[in-house]
Amino acid sequence: MRMLQEVLKDWEAVIGLEIHAELTTLETKMFCGCKLEFGASPNTHTCPVCLGLPGALPVPNRAAIESIVLAGLATNCDIEKRSMFYRKNYMYPDMSKNFQTTQGPIAFCMRGHLDLAVDGAAAKERIDLPEAVQDGGYTAHIGITRIHMEEDAGKMNHVGGSEGRIAGATHSMIDYNRCGTPLIELVTEPDLRTPEEARLFMQKLRQIYLALGISDCSMEEGSLRCDGNVSLRRRGEKRMGTKTELKNMNSFKNLHDGLAFEICRQAEVLEEGGIIYQETRHWDPSAKRTLVMRVKETADDYRLFPEPDLAPYDLTDEFIESVRKKLPELPDEKAGRFESSFGLSSYDARHLVENGSVAEFFDKAMALAEGGAPDALAGEGATAAGGAEPLGVAGHAPAAPGAAASLAKPLANLLINDLTAYLNAHDGLELAQTFLTPARALDLVRLTDTGAISSKQAKEVFAAVLEEDRDPAAIVAQRGMEQVSDLGAIEAAVDRVLAENHDEVALYLGGKVQLFGFFVGQCMKATAGQGNPKMINEILKKKLGQPSA
Amino acid sequence: MSVQAKESPFMNVAQIQAGLAAKSFSAHEVAAATLARIAAIDPSIHAFLEVTEQLAFEQAARIDAAIACGRLDECGPLAGAPMAFKDNMNQKGTHTTCSSRMLENYLSPYDATCVAKAIAAGAIPMGKLNMDEFAFGSSTETSCFGPTRNPWDLGRVPGGSSGGSAAAVAAGMVPLALGSDTGGSIRQPGSFCGVVAVKPSYGVVSRYGVVAFGSSLDQVGPFARSVEDAARALNAISGHDPLDCTSQHVTTDFTANLSEGVKGTRIGIVPAFMGAQGLESEVREKVEEAALLLEAAGAHIVEVDLPHAAAAMSAYYVLGPCEAFSNLARFDSVRYGYCDPGHKDLGTQYEASRAQGFGPEARRRIMLGSYLLSAGVYDTYYYPAQQVRTLITQDYTQAFRNVDCILTPVAPRTAFKFGEISDPTSMYLSDMFTISINIAGNGGMSLPVGSGVQTGLPVGVQLIAPQFKDENMLRVAAALEAVLGKAAVAPAFAEGDAL
Amino acid sequence: MTQHVNEKDVRTIAAYARIGLTQEEVAQMTIDLNDIIDSLRPITEYDLEGVEPTFHPIGGMSNVMREDVRRQGFSQDEALANAPRQEEGCFLIPAILGGESA
Repeated sequence: MRMLQEVLKDWEAVIGLEIHAELTTLETKMFCGCKLEFGASPNTHTCPVCLGLPGALPVPNRAAIESIVLAGLATNCDIEKRSMFYRKNYMYPDMSKNFQTTQGPIAFCMRGHLDLAVDGAAAKERIDLPEAVQDGGYTAHIGITRIHMEEDAGKMNHVGGSEGRIAGATHSMIDYNRCGTPLIELVTEPDLRTPEEARLFMQKLRQIYLALGISDCSMEEGSLRCDGNVSLRRRGEKRMGTKTELKNMNSFKNLHDGLAFEICRQAEVLEEGGIIYQETRHWDPSAKRTLVMRVKETADDYRLFPEPDLAPYDLTDEFIESVRKKLPELPDEKAGRFESSFGLSSYDARHLVENGSVAEFFDKAMALAEGGAPDALAGEGATAAGGAEPLGVAGHAPAAPGAAASLAKPLANLLINDLTAYLNAHDGLELAQTFLTPARALDLVRLTDTGAISSKQAKEVFAAVLEEDRDPAAIVAQRGMEQVSDLGAIEAAVDRVLAENHDEVALYLGGKVQLFGFFVGQCMKATAGQGNPKMINEILKKKLGQPSA
Repeated sequence: MSVQAKESPFMNVAQIQAGLAAKSFSAHEVAAATLARIAAIDPSIHAFLEVTEQLAFEQAARIDAAIACGRLDECGPLAGAPMAFKDNMNQKGTHTTCSSRMLENYLSPYDATCVAKAIAAGAIPMGKLNMDEFAFGSSTETSCFGPTRNPWDLGRVPGGSSGGSAAAVAAGMVPLALGSDTGGSIRQPGSFCGVVAVKPSYGVVSRYGVVAFGSSLDQVGPFARSVEDAARALNAISGHDPLDCTSQHVTTDFTANLSEGVKGTRIGIVPAFMGAQGLESEVREKVEEAALLLEAAGAHIVEVDLPHAAAAMSAYYVLGPCEAFSNLARFDSVRYGYCDPGHKDLGTQYEASRAQGFGPEARRRIMLGSYLLSAGVYDTYYYPAQQVRTLITQDYTQAFRNVDCILTPVAPRTAFKFGEISDPTSMYLSDMFTISINIAGNGGMSLPVGSGVQTGLPVGVQLIAPQFKDENMLRVAAALEAVLGKAAVAPAFAEGDAL
Repeated sequence: MTQHVNEKDVRTIAAYARIGLTQEEVAQMTIDLNDIIDSLRPITEYDLEGVEPTFHPIGGMSNVMREDVRRQGFSQDEALANAPRQEEGCFLIPAILGGESA
């Protein structure tokens, strides 16, 4: 099989996503008052409604309707005031009523979109770079067809076969705790062209849902799930090819890799003169390939009809406006603010908002830097008090806004690079679980900014803060790490070094300029490693004078 | 047991409560007398599928305890009144079979709201009543546990689907029963058995816990031997239920205006109904007599037109089966219900369990619904049927601009013999006068007006009220009842001692 | 009488409704269904142009919702009390052939 980059030179991939998110942050299920809880003992959160007992009737959860309207507003959808629930009839044992309550032709949210900023390596998959491209990046406008409200099914455990798969199983065990969990399904237009765009869309949507607080968006636990529809067409062709539906892409990496594989597979089939069947395929990440789950011979006929047990919806302006008031600052808005208020690059701003808690942390640190919003720090244990006075900084005295802005870039770097690396290395650790506080991060950045410690030392201090739960200043003081920036002390050290190394001085002046580094090293040694390297450099140059050419 | 307690099965609710208040007998004695009565005569009628002796005595004990503290009036409007429930109503601790093999062993783990409300109002729960399987039928012959017999003629059907409810009240086993009505299933057996039978407007009584047949058509209502008892029962079970989105915020006291009479009341007659093909003359005569009696009591009789009523039957046989198909999908042998043993794969277990668990009429309706909802067919029948519903509703709205209540036949004939009607489409005609009311969501009731001159069997007239104005038909019914007398216990079971 | 469905259609409908029918039952069902569907003809004969459907005969009620508040449900034993087969707190079913959920 050819590589994706090669395949995409000849073929255009047309990708649409169907993304299901469970509204896990609610207290109860979609149509009954059973508790939402992941991982409880089987069948301990059920009632007549979600068990599908004869005679039970559904009543919708108002908070779920508010959540989906929130999701629609955050993704630029039109909110449809008038809509209905429908019954989607198919018998499958994880759906206790043997119909799913979902929405019909009109969903609560219709006709939305998200704009994706694609750059760096992610942009390289796009062979036909659009005109708008600058610096190797571009913006992709992805249409959202609809977001509709529905309910999740129960969970089945297939036994007797291999790896819990249904094929080959002799029995299945059903737990209806999840049955009836509020679920919103977002369907995109087939506007995505590369697996990277699909991944970025999914990531962006996840950031938005997390910011809205409507779901924990755990791909691992299945509260955020994605199916992809993929078809290929020759570059320049307008007609759509036959699509396959791809399932089991339960991580961002799997989403990308599954789609990439499927694109390459379809290209190979088509290039060999074969045909693509409309079928559902399962991505097997360990085997790194997709497998047929079922072939769709005819369109499914779910015998949809309006749910007679549920009253229709005619949402009022007051309802919609009351939801709009709950909209928090969304990741794109936040990134824009980071750029305009703190002068961050769009790249830095975008990466900072990828993780809501990191963005919030950054905001708090910047508020401290500007000397404001002490309230934001209350209860965070965030002050540097209790340790030694921070070096090079006079406590947390208000600094000029300009000075604060100069800290934004290094602070962003600390969070985007060092912190991310640390969290990644500590498997799933959350920022809130670390010993890093906004005040500590700010102090660390200031220590470097004022030259009190070197950037190399800063990394050591950062590691120490996270391991020892102490303030940067205290660590610097304890370890005696302050850079010596006293001109007299450094001059004395330089003089001493030059006096002790006559021969090398002679050689240097004779043209062996590479010895300069040796002198620097000796000076650092003479200052016990704490001499300000920049000052040492300057003084050495001055004292040594010009070597002969 | 006192002599009076033995008479209690023949009493109405007010008489029972007077006896309790006077301490002529206890609630326990009422329960015991009712149990004895059921044991004595139900073997010849087969109205009951389950008798809940223990639940009855528990409730009676609660009421007797209240009486002992002088708090009978706090026990609710049905205090001490024996009541039985159609077997599609969940009642915790009872079997709720819907007269189907599918649910033969299903034990309800929860209460239907109507059952809970009745018991909270002081009713003594006596048991569960026979019905057509899943309420699909008009004769109670499709019950997989055997038919119920009409107390007026044991060789005839009690009507259906709430045949057990009508027969239990008509035979004097209980003063009150609850039934459900999707196309006539309360009113038609009420007519066949000569008892008061009320189908309130859709949404007046919660459907929560009542096994669904046609969700947009089903409505629960009471059977009684007097309009007042029916109105009392309706007071107890009506009102908004947070567990049923389609239930209405009803606060009407349905007993309030029963004695107001009909002076000046405008009562509609539908000429097309009176001239309908298949309407037996003995039934038509009774409706005409009722009209004359009402006129004599001061009502104005006005002709009204329901131009789309003729389409109601076909709309019903589209909407009912479509909703039933979906509602009955849950009977799949997984969580409850009949499970055919020994299958190695779920597909064959499904097919065998549903083939054997459902009777022929249930299978037919499920199949019909599955067909009518399928792609391409939906637009031919289902969608037009919902449009026809709009037209029928408008007909009633228009008619009720000119009248307060409409008077029609309930069924085209009196009770028929077992096996007399066997093909499905003829059986469906039993509901020709009742169905449009379910389609539009109005209230309708059957009031017994005596016996047909040819058959000597009970005939009921149907009174139809505007949506959510059910008190109108109850008031007209009370006026007729004042002239004709209260519904009698079927003669064969009314002689001498109640036992 | 018009033939609305033939025996093959009836088998397809039965398969979708998950009801196993014998050959004799299929034959009888075909007759019955054609008979009933024939009787539905009035529905197809009205001029319904511009008539809005009434899906909910509830007097114009809309937006009926409940608050996001917990309500006592079943214990595991209660949930499983009517189960034909169960194991380890779960409902037990035989193998599902023919693949995954839709």
